[in-house]
Amino acid sequence: MKLRRQWAAVPAFLTLAALATIVSAYSGASSSAGNSPTQPVRFPHPVHVQTLKMNCLYCHFAANKSPDPGMPAMSTCMGCHTIVGAGKPEIQKLAGYWNRQQPVPWVRIHKLPEYVKFPHMRHVGGGVSCQTCHGDVQNMQQVSQANSLGMGWCVSCHIGQSNPPLRARYDCATCHY
Amino acid sequence: MTVKRREFLKVIGAGTATVASVGCGTGEVERLIPYLISPDETVPGVSNYYATTCRECSAACGVLAETRDGRVIKLEGNPEHPLSRGAICARGQSAVQGLYNPDRFRTPMVRRNGALERVTWEQALQLFAQKLGEARASGRAGSAVFINQHESGSFPAFLDSWLGALGMPPHISFDAQSDFAAIAANRQSYGVSWPRYDFKAARVVVSFGADFLDGWGPSVVQQLDWAEARADHAHAPRLIYVGPRRSLTGLNADEWIACKPGSQLIIAQMLAGQASVAAAATASGVAAAQLSNLQRDFSSLRPNLALAGGTGPRAMQLALAVNALNQGNAGSTVRVDEAVTAYDGIDSPAIARAAIERMRAGTVPILFVRGANPVHAFGKAARVAEAIGRVPFKVSFSSVPDETTELCDLILPDNHSLESWGDAAPVRGMVGLQQPAMEPVFDTRATADVLLELSRRNPTTAAQAPAGGYRNWLISRFPGGARELTAAMPAGITQGTIGTRAARAGVTVTPSAPIESTTGDLYLMLYQHPLLADGRGANKPWLQELPDPVTKICWQSVAEIHPRTAERMGVENGDLLTVATGAGSLTLPALVYLGVRDDTVAIATGRGRVGAGRYARSGLNALDLLPANASDSSGGIAYVTTKARVTKAGGHHEIVTTEGSARQHGRGIARAVAAGSLGQAHAPAPAAAHGAAEEGHHEDGHVVPEMAGAASREFLPGLRAPVANDAQGDLGDPNSNDKGMYHPDHWSGMAKRRWAMTIDLARCTGCSACVTACYAENNIPTVGGEWQGGKIFPDRTGFGANILRSREMAWIRLERYFEGGLDGGTDFETRFIPMMCQHCGNAPCEPVCPVYATYHAPDGLNVQVYNRCVGTRYCSNNCPYKVRYFNWFGYGEPNRPHYAFPEPLNWQLNPDVTVRGKGVMEKCTFCVQRIREAEHRASSEKRPLQADEFTTACAQACPSRAITFGDAADSSWAVTKLIDDERAYHVFEELNTYTAVVYLKKVNHPREGAASAATGPTPTAGAAPQAGH
Repeated sequence: MKLRRQWAAVPAFLTLAALATIVSAYSGASSSAGNSPTQPVRFPHPVHVQTLKMNCLYCHFAANKSPDPGMPAMSTCMGCHTIVGAGKPEIQKLAGYWNRQQPVPWVRIHKLPEYVKFPHMRHVGGGVSCQTCHGDVQNMQQVSQANSLGMGWCVSCHIGQSNPPLRARYDCATCHY
Repeated sequence: MTVKRREFLKVIGAGTATVASVGCGTGEVERLIPYLISPDETVPGVSNYYATTCRECSAACGVLAETRDGRVIKLEGNPEHPLSRGAICARGQSAVQGLYNPDRFRTPMVRRNGALERVTWEQALQLFAQKLGEARASGRAGSAVFINQHESGSFPAFLDSWLGALGMPPHISFDAQSDFAAIAANRQSYGVSWPRYDFKAARVVVSFGADFLDGWGPSVVQQLDWAEARADHAHAPRLIYVGPRRSLTGLNADEWIACKPGSQLIIAQMLAGQASVAAAATASGVAAAQLSNLQRDFSSLRPNLALAGGTGPRAMQLALAVNALNQGNAGSTVRVDEAVTAYDGIDSPAIARAAIERMRAGTVPILFVRGANPVHAFGKAARVAEAIGRVPFKVSFSSVPDETTELCDLILPDNHSLESWGDAAPVRGMVGLQQPAMEPVFDTRATADVLLELSRRNPTTAAQAPAGGYRNWLISRFPGGARELTAAMPAGITQGTIGTRAARAGVTVTPSAPIESTTGDLYLMLYQHPLLADGRGANKPWLQELPDPVTKICWQSVAEIHPRTAERMGVENGDLLTVATGAGSLTLPALVYLGVRDDTVAIATGRGRVGAGRYARSGLNALDLLPANASDSSGGIAYVTTKARVTKAGGHHEIVTTEGSARQHGRGIARAVAAGSLGQAHAPAPAAAHGAAEEGHHEDGHVVPEMAGAASREFLPGLRAPVANDAQGDLGDPNSNDKGMYHPDHWSGMAKRRWAMTIDLARCTGCSACVTACYAENNIPTVGGEWQGGKIFPDRTGFGANILRSREMAWIRLERYFEGGLDGGTDFETRFIPMMCQHCGNAPCEPVCPVYATYHAPDGLNVQVYNRCVGTRYCSNNCPYKVRYFNWFGYGEPNRPHYAFPEPLNWQLNPDVTVRGKGVMEKCTFCVQRIREAEHRASSEKRPLQADEFTTACAQACPSRAITFGDAADSSWAVTKLIDDERAYHVFEELNTYTAVVYLKKVNHPREGAASAATGPTPTAGAAPQAGH
């Protein structure tokens, strides 16, 4: 009896595994799209982008000249927030980090799979808007991942299936090396 | 219905994936850590380059330190440097492994109750000040000894003034690696420590054991000069090497005069007319005919050049005699006016020896050492450790553990040279600048700053101590001050002179007795390892794993003996021999090497160091065999002073080598042509080009025929392979006319390019700098000779990840083949050929990959996609060049026992290149990351890619300028001209692989009017007389 129960576990596990995979594949749960972690300091993009009309490149200063878009240095934040909104609780949190001379440990949201190179400057320089990949960040009170960042999603633009159509090389070694 | 192979695998794969992928996903939270304040001129993800000075040997070449996000990731040669001209050697490349060495001292250390303990800088400085105060109070400061690793520049003078202010004598500038006999003789003969040798002007060069390509003097400079001279084939100098063993320089020589150790002097005297040919022949064991030819050539071919390397008791006399031979060459082949000043100020090792004797006598109250390692350098028999033990207080400024520092009471770790300010005087009239390329990795401080801090604390010297650190002191002495220094810094070199310190007057030295007066079976020839030098490179895994350019041995010490000696003793490769001298004995495997005399056994120094870190322990310390006081009359350490008893020890140890065979077996891999037959064929028509006398692969009694057809010269852009359609995936539908990016007119223009490389074997010296450059650029792990994990991580166990099992990962293999000499004769020829992925147009690896992980890109690259690779290794099986390397273990995965980059060695990893995991195939990518970077830069600047605007890491480093990389489909690139050279050939062309790496045949320079055996027969069809076998 005991033996039989043990053996039954194998097909049961396989069925469960297959089911879980199918469900997750269809629900999109295997990709990280929609991922929206809580950040150590609640940074509202809408205020900075829409109300204050700040350019993305003001803070993400390297996006048009480096593969790495760059996270703003704490001094960039404190350039304004030493005075602006100094009484607000989230700003006080920020100031607390600054006073302790600690960087804010932002949680990474957009992470490409391993073994892929994504040169930001080629995309920004080639007329791809930030929103194309990152979604409407200007409307996000809390940033969430808008796209899957999967290879199929990348390639769809590279072979001209985007709207408006863009084109880029789609050879493997364009990104994988 | 036919199921395509790949579709079948897709289905199978999908089925497996549904099961396997459940439960995957790391769930790990990654953090993005911003700067507090962004540093100026820093863009994350973009490299900054700092011009600075290499301090790995005394030559002080100019380097550019590539830093990314505050960390040095690679060194490249500084093209603006007048001496090194953009080249860098393997040792220079490895400086970063010294910087990130896991065995570096992390803090100051103090010895308490026999053990070293970590202390703070404040505690260390207080102790230092107290002990210094005690020594001065006792009135014995005048007997203090400071031994400093020689470096050129302002620091030696600064150090002497600091010592003088405290009543201490000037320091001893020590360099165990430099050939002091040659330096002392040069000072006497020419008035400079090292003249510049103009090989271009010479018609014949005779080297008496002077290894000018591997350690004798500024190797990079001399290698560049040598390669330039040899590149002019019609007027190239002929090189004759006189010595008992063929070193790398010896293997590059056109003729080897295998004289007995210690008999070079009489040959030099013969050339000067002071000895007869017969007397020289008797003393040296060389045939009189060869010597009289030498005599004739040396006197008739002018201008000539003679060079002497000192390793025996009479090294000084030899160097003086050889310098006298150059008397007529002043201004032509010997340029005193362009003297290399990097060796100015080196003191005779005899001065250090005398200081050690004073320590033994107990008269030295305090000893300082910085970088120098006399305990190791003089060998065990000199009992230096015992003498140092009698000094009451010993301070070391070394940043890495070594045998001398191990004995010290206080360790004040210096910054690495890449973390320090400084300057150098590499050549007369020029100042090399040294600046920190990054913040110190550990809690270390520059010695100069420590000394200044100490002066400040002492009331009597506080007034003289300049404000600020050593940097301010340098600025105050720099003409024009801070502004001029800042202006000069980006170039790394400027005109001017700095007040250098003169070497101390030598002491009288009693040289060791002549080698003939010692007893033993064989002459013992100890020699400095071309990569590890006197042992200072021993704790750098790149240098340990890089096969010795001559013996192809890694991680191991061997006793080199001639095939005849081996036969006489009944010894085969790997059989253990016991080599014993009066000083000690070693039991080590025999290596049968054609390039050593049959009455000599040769062992390289540099390995088997205890107390110098985890990697340095491999092998055995050859200096254990060095007799006490082995010295020539200049005081230089004489490595060849004694005979040794050599006996079979019984037992066997496998040879740790990356070499399969030292013979080509008729495969025509490395080809050569005689200089005289060049230009006779009417290049570049393919058929005619190969009419030039083909040498070499006559070993097996046949000549490899040239292939008919036009493959040699055609570098059509785009894809050539019959598997083209397959490689294009869905777009490769045979019924479709859409060739996608493989169409030459595709908008991307990718198929208009054909990345290709030429390697000129007439320039290549086999130095292997390219191999190390590749390790640095491409995150290649070292695997160890035997199981290295246990040495790196004492808590980890495992097996088998090693070179003994052919698991090396080097993407470039520097193959070394011998031609001729099968009878054990001296007239064999050596050919070096760097072998890497040939990026075949019709690559055998591509069609066999079941998962499309390797394929041919439209721009001609043979691409390896790591995340597609499942590790079937079919590609490696099918590669005729054997240039694919498989990750048998997780060398790149920190939690695996085979991880090759223990913290902080991993700081060096190039962020542009994937660190490969277990089970993945890898190989040369033609530095695809550099291609992409250049394309990104051109695109950002909205311009097309310029010809020759970038190159690969190997080509960048090459000190012979043998490697050229570029777009073979665009005639504006330099590589296209070289491909049309009449010497161009493809390796294994008969396989129709259409390789993108084109080799240019080596050019041999046989003695005029005499056909040496190495010249070989001319391959006339059907009649190929075979000499020698």
